[in-house]
Amino acid sequence: MNAHRFWNWFLAPGTLWILVLFAAPLLLIFALSFGHVDDFGRGVYGFKLGNYDDVFNSTYLPVLLRSVGYALATMLICLAIGYPVAYYIARFGGRWRYVLLAALVIPFFVNYLVRTYAWVALLADEGLVNNAIVDLGLSDAPVQMINTPWAVIGGLVYGYIIFMILPLYGSIERMDQSVVEAGKDLYGSPLQTFIHVTIPATQAGILAGCVLVFLPSVGDFVSAQLLGGPDTYMVGNLIQDQFFAASNWPFGAALTMIMMLFLSVWMVLYLRRAAKGEAEVL
Amino acid sequence: MAEQAIKIDGVTKRYGEFVAVDDVNLEINKGEFFSLLGPSGCGKTTTLRMLAGFEVPTEGRILLEGEPVEKVPPHKRNVNMVFQSYALFEHLDVEGNVAFGLKRKKTPKAEIQTRVADALELVDLSSRAKSRAGELSGGQRQRVALARALVNRPQVLLLDEPLGALDLKLRRQMQIELKQIQREVGITFVYVTHDQEEALSMSDRIAVMSDGRVVQCGAPEEIYEHPSEEFVAGFIGISNLLQGKAEGQGRVRVGGNSLPVPDLPSDFRTGDPVQIAVRPEKVAVDEIGNDNEKIQPGMFTVDGEIESMVYLGVGNQLTLKLASGGRLVALEQATYRVQSDDQWQVGQQVRVGWHPEHCMVLS
Amino acid sequence: MKSGSAFDKPRFLRVFTGLVYVFLFVPILVVIVFSFNSQKSLQVMDGISLRWYEDFFNDSTLRESLFISIEIALITMVVATVVGTALAIGLVRSRSRMAKGSNLLMLVPLVTPEIVAGISALLIFSQLGIGLSFWTIVLAHITFSISYVTIVVRGRLATIGIEIEDAARDLGASRLESVRLVLVPALWPAVVAAGLLVFALSFDDFVLSFFTTGEQSQPLPVRIWSMIRFGVSPTINAIGTLMMVVSISAVALAVMIPRFFGRRESGVKVLTGAEG
Repeated sequence: MNAHRFWNWFLAPGTLWILVLFAAPLLLIFALSFGHVDDFGRGVYGFKLGNYDDVFNSTYLPVLLRSVGYALATMLICLAIGYPVAYYIARFGGRWRYVLLAALVIPFFVNYLVRTYAWVALLADEGLVNNAIVDLGLSDAPVQMINTPWAVIGGLVYGYIIFMILPLYGSIERMDQSVVEAGKDLYGSPLQTFIHVTIPATQAGILAGCVLVFLPSVGDFVSAQLLGGPDTYMVGNLIQDQFFAASNWPFGAALTMIMMLFLSVWMVLYLRRAAKGEAEVL
Repeated sequence: MAEQAIKIDGVTKRYGEFVAVDDVNLEINKGEFFSLLGPSGCGKTTTLRMLAGFEVPTEGRILLEGEPVEKVPPHKRNVNMVFQSYALFEHLDVEGNVAFGLKRKKTPKAEIQTRVADALELVDLSSRAKSRAGELSGGQRQRVALARALVNRPQVLLLDEPLGALDLKLRRQMQIELKQIQREVGITFVYVTHDQEEALSMSDRIAVMSDGRVVQCGAPEEIYEHPSEEFVAGFIGISNLLQGKAEGQGRVRVGGNSLPVPDLPSDFRTGDPVQIAVRPEKVAVDEIGNDNEKIQPGMFTVDGEIESMVYLGVGNQLTLKLASGGRLVALEQATYRVQSDDQWQVGQQVRVGWHPEHCMVLS
Repeated sequence: MKSGSAFDKPRFLRVFTGLVYVFLFVPILVVIVFSFNSQKSLQVMDGISLRWYEDFFNDSTLRESLFISIEIALITMVVATVVGTALAIGLVRSRSRMAKGSNLLMLVPLVTPEIVAGISALLIFSQLGIGLSFWTIVLAHITFSISYVTIVVRGRLATIGIEIEDAARDLGASRLESVRLVLVPALWPAVVAAGLLVFALSFDDFVLSFFTTGEQSQPLPVRIWSMIRFGVSPTINAIGTLMMVVSISAVALAVMIPRFFGRRESGVKVLTGAEG
């Protein structure tokens, strides 16, 4: 029909763009992951599973599991920190609500590298935090903070917490307050009400926030590179190495595919809801 | 014979399996105020949108002053529409909104100016020409929408529940104004509404729609006094519906009573099922033995009991249980029985009557 | 910590929220404050000077990178805004099967880790034999920006009924004219806001640029990356502060733009999709 064709012209450029420069290359990654490196160090497509064997050997598997572990920890910490903040702004923010929201968004628009680098300056052995600890007499020697898992996870929390708070804010704001009142009648204790009423009512925001924090955390390599060391490397660092320093693209592609496999359940879960307009998107 | 503005000829609109408009045939005369009346989902808005060109009929033809237009896109049809939400262009001022159509048609600037000024004067908004749409009240927005359409001097003006968003008082006022403006400009109005009172008070003719079909088309009095079927009788005002069997000689047996029904068509044979309706305001109620006050000579009467009573301000609505079984609703004007000691009591025995010619036969 | 009763007590929540804001702002304040330090130290403020800013502006490669970053962000903003707005309009208006597919496709970049997007771009360019350059960065940036624009514009579009387009067509505008003369002006605040948002995202982007940058035309974040890996330098504080000024100006404009258009809604609402 005429209208169909007319509106499809609006869809075409964007769809085509994402298809060619985003979706099609995902298939390239998949294809390359079965390839190998030729004598000149270039990636060649092939049909070998060797790269996948390598992914699951004793050197790389711990890195993969560590990445997922760090990302889960990041997600849970973001939720624990983000929920009270989102709740406070949505329920008690009053006319300062938008100011508070804007203030949340500002740090997010400071370059991620610079923000992470600031943490390096703060947490280093000679950094401001350690100086303060020694000056206050809390410890005689500087506390080792940099190069620890918690520094890496802290960097991730700092980097992605905004993706948790915004969807949470959206769903708490939209929640019908009278439902909470009704819950108090039904369950009595505020904790019971929170568990049985508030959490289910804001479930869409919780899901969106968790997915939007978990996904980029798994693939991150900046935090581990700057705030961690070899013991805290994440899969992102490995992948990045394969494409640059080690120049083994097929293996990098296989690592990427495995990482995507870990993420796919979450992505599909989120996409299905978002496509139907049920999930908070950003 | 009046000149024809619109002829809708066997128009059907399907969306997949769903039939939105089902074989509609209508002829609308030039200068007529024509209403499409029906509950939501009856196909009236789809019909209007086909007249405007937003929807193309699946079957059938639409003639605009004799020209087939069913395939002509909306911007090439000389009809204009007033939308339910007004659909004003918020980024333009009132003048810009009204001039939009003329600019599209490359009308000379000077002419645009005078015509826009005239249109704004017609709707009494000259003083707000430079206001933004967002600064206007609901009633004013409605007028802008009207001026924006009328300024193009369309062959037909389509109005899609234009007063739906206004409060009751403003509605009544705008109904009168709309009718006045229509007389002034003499343009054919096709008016979609679900409000039967609105349709009755404003229209020259009404088409009542249900489930995509036109169930009755005629002047307001005709629709009201002679509804063709149960749906119309029920949709336009409340009606007492009585099921009976034809007895011959213009009589119908309902329950234990034999009712005189002068309008009964002759093709009903004895024993045929007949459905008749009586408007509540035609039903007179009086105390037994107090004849000739409200029960007038010539009325058909039965006895009954007052089952419930609702005070409506303008009158009382009585539900009556008839001695022969069955129930009737009667609407009693407040001019009677104003004194509280003179009120009806629930359970009181009464006599109920109506003139046989107020009995409407439904097909 | 997160007890139910605490959620009814703004006082606890207020303190908690305050601490989180401190956590969010301390590192940024550190960057800003030490960018004005007269000494190289990152621990002790010694005196105020602009020497690190001078260092930055005297370094021609850094200066060049700044301009490259701005150029990339500007081109990305313009192209992604046009393509993304069209996509949003198509998604809301079209009921074709293609629209359903596009809707899903458009969301995928938003949930894919950036590193994967970077590798994708790298692979397609090498597959097509396109050498990494200024333009490969731009192409990669536009790809992920389209989705952001689409999301923001679609949010606004959902609040505008189709009736104004019908009205325009009824008054003699073709479909395309009705989009150009009525729909786009109605969407304009969201379009501008989305554009500025995308400018800020592109200007700050590191990961995508990292994978698509060649020997030449390195945008600022890629330069910062190599600088940080060489060691901590107060010049980075100065660069960071400057970049902050650029992106936050863009975001501030994005927040304020809807007000310039006389809309009552706040720009934060337009950007976050929150409903008031």
